[in-house]
Amino acid sequence: MLLDFDKLGGVRTLLIALVALVCLFLILPIVFIAALSFGSSQWLIFPPPSWTFKWYQDLFADPRWLYSALTSLKIAAIVTVLSVVIGFLAALGLDRGRFAGRDLLRALFLTPMILPVVVLAVALYALFLKLGLAGTTIAFVIAHLLIALPFSIISIGNALEGFDRSIEDAAILCGANPWEARLRVTVPAISHGIFGAAVFSFLASWDEVVLAIFMASPTLQTLPVKIWTTLRQDLTPVIAAASTLLIAFTILLMIVAALFRKGRKA
Amino acid sequence: MTQPFLSINGIRKNYGNVTAVKNVSMDIAQGEFMTFLGPSGSGKSTTLYILAGFQDPSGGDILLNGQSLLSTPSHKRNIGMVFQRYTLFPHLTVGENVAFPLRIRRRPQAEIAERVKAALKLVRLEGFEDRMPALMSGGQQQRVALARALVYNPPVLLMDEPLSALDKKLREEIQFEIRRIHQETGVTILYVTHDQEEALRLSDRIAVFSQGEIDQIGTGPELYSNPATRFVAGFIGDSNFLDATVVTSNAGKAKLALGDGAVVEGVPLHGPSAASSRASLMLRPERLSLSRVSVPSGIAVTVRDITFLGNNVEVSTATPAGVDLAVRLPFGHEAISSLARGEQAWLTFDTASAHAFA
Amino acid sequence: MAVTVVTGAVKTKRGATLGYLLPALLLIALFFIVPVLMLLMRSVLEPEVGLQNYKALLGSTTYLRVFLNTFLVAGVVTLVSIVVGYPVAWLLAIMPQKWSRIVLAIIILSMWTNLLARTYAWMVLLQRTGVINKTLMGLGLIDTPLALVNNLVGVTIGMTYIMLPFVILPLMGVIRTIDPAILRAAALCGAGKMQCFLRVLLPLSLPGIAAGALMVFVMSLGYFVTPALLGGTSNMMLAELVAQFVQSLVNWGMGGAAALVLLVVTLALYAVQLRYFNPARGT
Repeated sequence: MLLDFDKLGGVRTLLIALVALVCLFLILPIVFIAALSFGSSQWLIFPPPSWTFKWYQDLFADPRWLYSALTSLKIAAIVTVLSVVIGFLAALGLDRGRFAGRDLLRALFLTPMILPVVVLAVALYALFLKLGLAGTTIAFVIAHLLIALPFSIISIGNALEGFDRSIEDAAILCGANPWEARLRVTVPAISHGIFGAAVFSFLASWDEVVLAIFMASPTLQTLPVKIWTTLRQDLTPVIAAASTLLIAFTILLMIVAALFRKGRKA
Repeated sequence: MTQPFLSINGIRKNYGNVTAVKNVSMDIAQGEFMTFLGPSGSGKSTTLYILAGFQDPSGGDILLNGQSLLSTPSHKRNIGMVFQRYTLFPHLTVGENVAFPLRIRRRPQAEIAERVKAALKLVRLEGFEDRMPALMSGGQQQRVALARALVYNPPVLLMDEPLSALDKKLREEIQFEIRRIHQETGVTILYVTHDQEEALRLSDRIAVFSQGEIDQIGTGPELYSNPATRFVAGFIGDSNFLDATVVTSNAGKAKLALGDGAVVEGVPLHGPSAASSRASLMLRPERLSLSRVSVPSGIAVTVRDITFLGNNVEVSTATPAGVDLAVRLPFGHEAISSLARGEQAWLTFDTASAHAFA
Repeated sequence: MAVTVVTGAVKTKRGATLGYLLPALLLIALFFIVPVLMLLMRSVLEPEVGLQNYKALLGSTTYLRVFLNTFLVAGVVTLVSIVVGYPVAWLLAIMPQKWSRIVLAIIILSMWTNLLARTYAWMVLLQRTGVINKTLMGLGLIDTPLALVNNLVGVTIGMTYIMLPFVILPLMGVIRTIDPAILRAAALCGAGKMQCFLRVLLPLSLPGIAAGALMVFVMSLGYFVTPALLGGTSNMMLAELVAQFVQSLVNWGMGGAAALVLLVVTLALYAVQLRYFNPARGT
């Protein structure tokens, strides 16, 4: 009865109240930031004395914000493509391969995701200093790729697991060579996994803070680095404006993902 | 001697030190419907995969019109195949699925449209071109798969237990369709199944697989009336087995002593025929007669149970030694009117219809 | 008769498979294994060969304080996340879909929102003149503003906020796999609500709880951003220490040593997770 929603009795009221509170806890900071970004108080007083677009004007007036956003976008785009391609190949190898140590290899591929990012950041920083790559786009891409790749391997790997391999075999007997069969049949059939890999890879790169802080140079910064350095100086409402735009972007991405899922079902 | 259409010569397949296929050879005529029948793990599917090129044999060769197929990769073998599960491309419509092999072969658009239409007509799915596979029933999906496998006119069509995912009624319906399509197209079909009824219903000839080898190849009636091994006898049709001892044997006919002292003569004997060696006597339930009065050469049994099966009645009996023997009699047969459990009865049979396996 | 299911019909050439794995393998080897090993090497090579960095790290009360902070925060965050997250996951698993969709959307929105944006929100909310202090004072509950930021309280609140979704979502999955009929059977056997919960529901969801707790604990141990922004300079956590050695003090030896400590603890817990709660083997 504890797993029957209609038969929970008094426990249900208690649980519903708790869930409502947790929802408030999760959503309020986000709503709050969005509200403050339109508030006129420099000191982020709530409720704001009046409403304004000033902070958005400040944000767009400073070309460093736009430039760092473009840098983030460029790096995230490159990382997404590489992560999906390399992740697809790796997931395929793990799914199709019959060799000893396969589980171990899968665990190794996923390690960068669970390892403290700061260790990876410091280690890569040292390596790139030695290689003379510190502060370059390549350094950013490699670093971000390392943490994006596990998402791709998991997402595409799950999709491959749910894909009946006989379908690919059927395509081969229909006359398609193995790669033709994969690209024309397997890839479309697991498109949801590939889409998921792309979204997560993009987000992993776009939102990455710790690696980016160590990869950045005064002339090459991603958006999170720009927010970070600004935050360390003061709590200006310009960051609220930037955060609100990021939240809007997240909601947009969620809607796209939801539509994609709906489109697949229809 | 004319060259066979499709020839499987001594195919072997080992996985490490496990032998999946030992030594499979057969010739298949053009237009023949050949079924590989056997339990799971008997090597029938592996042989089919070797034909499809999904697996390489450890030894042996496969010749199509005298040409070896082994060096040709799967996608160039031009073979059609229908799989166990529904293997339609989920992102393509029915029409696009059937058109796929032709698109790969870069046929002109007009020809593709025409042939897709004809293939769908063949499987009685005209007008389904724009459907998505996920919205079709299992039976319909398998018919689309059949159309896709036939649209490029492959010389050989492989079918790997294509009906195993369907329920019984649908299965019979599609078996009928497969027979019709086989007759209409004249395509050579190699069909894998573990269902003897399906094999008997569909095939021109059946190859019975057991433990990686072919026990016997023949038409259904041949396998039924003259099984080469005890395995074939047990797999095709229902059968009873009685332990016996060979008394004498001559020209493939044996005189056998049964456990309870009864002696039968003139039973076809398969296998080595030394006197006093052990043998298994196979009796078909429908070839046994039941008598309620003592018969000199009859096997004395006790009636255990009587089961009504529609047009037949099955009488389960047991010998004094405890061996179960089933007898099948037409419903309404005088021998079983008011027959009761526990009654004594005597079983007789025509020795020519029995078989002994040494 | 049983249906024979044949898997892996197609031959897979071993070489081809390894070829697919090669790009990922190269990336991981060259830019993950090699640099991490190089960093760890520096901890015993710089400034001179020996274990002096580890002696300094483990022998000083300052650094011991950092370890203590780290485990304390990670422990509290884990505990609170599980205690709060479990009931939420429970209700989420059984509530009507139209409601659970909304709750899930909120959870995913908070999870996907930029980490810095979320942390910034808490910095603003928790400051002395922030909404929370203002509200509490308005309600007459406190007279002077509470110090909620630049200390471990702030770090714990901010990190719990981040970790909650990571507990709720997997736990919901685990509870969904429990057959409600088992609980009905328990009730018919005469068990009261409390007994049903303690003797049936909780034990059945324990593997999920353990896996979730372990994951949150491991993630919290190595967290950098939230402690750096919400914690004060006097309440450092281990990840910050690693960064500080390298960035401000340019002491690669000590940085490497601190990184090794963090790495060893993390990998040990990861190994426990793989061994006992491997999702691939089913929990």
